[in-house]
Amino acid sequence: MSANPYQVLGVKPDASQENIRAAYRKLAKKLHPDLNPGNKDAEERFKEISGAYDLLGDPEKRARFDRGEIDASGAERPQQTYYRDFAQRPGAASGDARRYESTEGFADFAESDDILAELFGRSHGGKAGIRMRGPDIPFHLHVDFLDAVNGATRRLALPDGSTLDVTIPPGIRNGQILRLKGKGRPGLGGGPSGDALIEIEIVPHPSFTRQGDDIRLDLPISLSEAVLGGRVDVPTPTGPVTMTIPKGSNSGTVLRIRGKGVGRRDGMRGDEYVTLTIVLPRTLDPALESFISGWEAGRRFNPREGGSS
Amino acid sequence: MLEYEEFCLRARLEGATVDAWVAAGWLIPERTETRRGFSEADLARAQLIKDLSRDLGVNDEGIAVILDLLDQIHGLRRGLRTLSAALAQLPANARADLRRELRDRSE
Repeated sequence: MSANPYQVLGVKPDASQENIRAAYRKLAKKLHPDLNPGNKDAEERFKEISGAYDLLGDPEKRARFDRGEIDASGAERPQQTYYRDFAQRPGAASGDARRYESTEGFADFAESDDILAELFGRSHGGKAGIRMRGPDIPFHLHVDFLDAVNGATRRLALPDGSTLDVTIPPGIRNGQILRLKGKGRPGLGGGPSGDALIEIEIVPHPSFTRQGDDIRLDLPISLSEAVLGGRVDVPTPTGPVTMTIPKGSNSGTVLRIRGKGVGRRDGMRGDEYVTLTIVLPRTLDPALESFISGWEAGRRFNPREGGSS
Repeated sequence: MLEYEEFCLRARLEGATVDAWVAAGWLIPERTETRRGFSEADLARAQLIKDLSRDLGVNDEGIAVILDLLDQIHGLRRGLRTLSAALAQLPANARADLRRELRDRSE
């Protein structure tokens, strides 16, 4: 005698089809035998709920059941073979299911324990095989500011005495980790090597600073250049360029040099922003001093008051 | 070994669905030079994928994750079974030592 299918699914006799389906899904997610490889009871319970759902999930069958034309006993599903039955078979008998098995989930145990390495190294075949991926090696690499901005190649010495050429892509950020596939320690049982993980530390530059893709630079200019304007050489990450300082430039004026910023992956570059700072000559020139003392307009101008000029 | 057509028939799947599942790596048929052969285990696995997508409403991304985790679980379970069989062959005093060690650790 089978149990009442409504009770099996935990729904009321007047539940909607929607509710019945939701109740079934909820139970099936918990009880599907393949999602419970080690639970023997799951199969029996899953059979019960799927049988109940076969009956109630079909409005026509459900109506016949409600009218008493059929009973719940007819609803049992034929014996089903689950995937877990194949995956559980010991040794060669399981043959076919073995190729799906993965040992990724405990590769780290086998790395540190020779008994477990023996255990997992013995089987053959399988998806990840019983091959074990080698561990990653962490590195720390100091990179010059300009190398980080422009990109560079650096040579790393590995613990085993060999060397590794690391390509630093332009625009790399401080703290970024470069992963060099297969440059870590070798794998077990023919497994792939681990990766080299290189943490980048950028050494600051004495004059350039970086803001995202842009470079900032403070540029000292003379009083004459500020007043009269002129062309000056400005350092950029790729070498000096000539820039025009407009007539009447001030300390704090920011000029932009397009395309001279930080290199990017797409081959473009950010911009360089140059902040001007007016620097007076180290020794005060008597001619300048006498001009300034007789300069009425200069006297009237108070830069600490807004508006006046 | 099941031929491709027979496999589709018994799994009650369209050829295109089987092809997609093979392409996704969810099914790995045995390949010979001329054809692909499927096993009873592949059939049960296909049934599982069907249950997940049709009965349980899992989408493709979810299925990929579930299969991957299940494959890891089965790998683990096999390891555990082998370990358990090997431990059963140890001398009684070694087993007693191990039991004590495990008890200490579970406290």
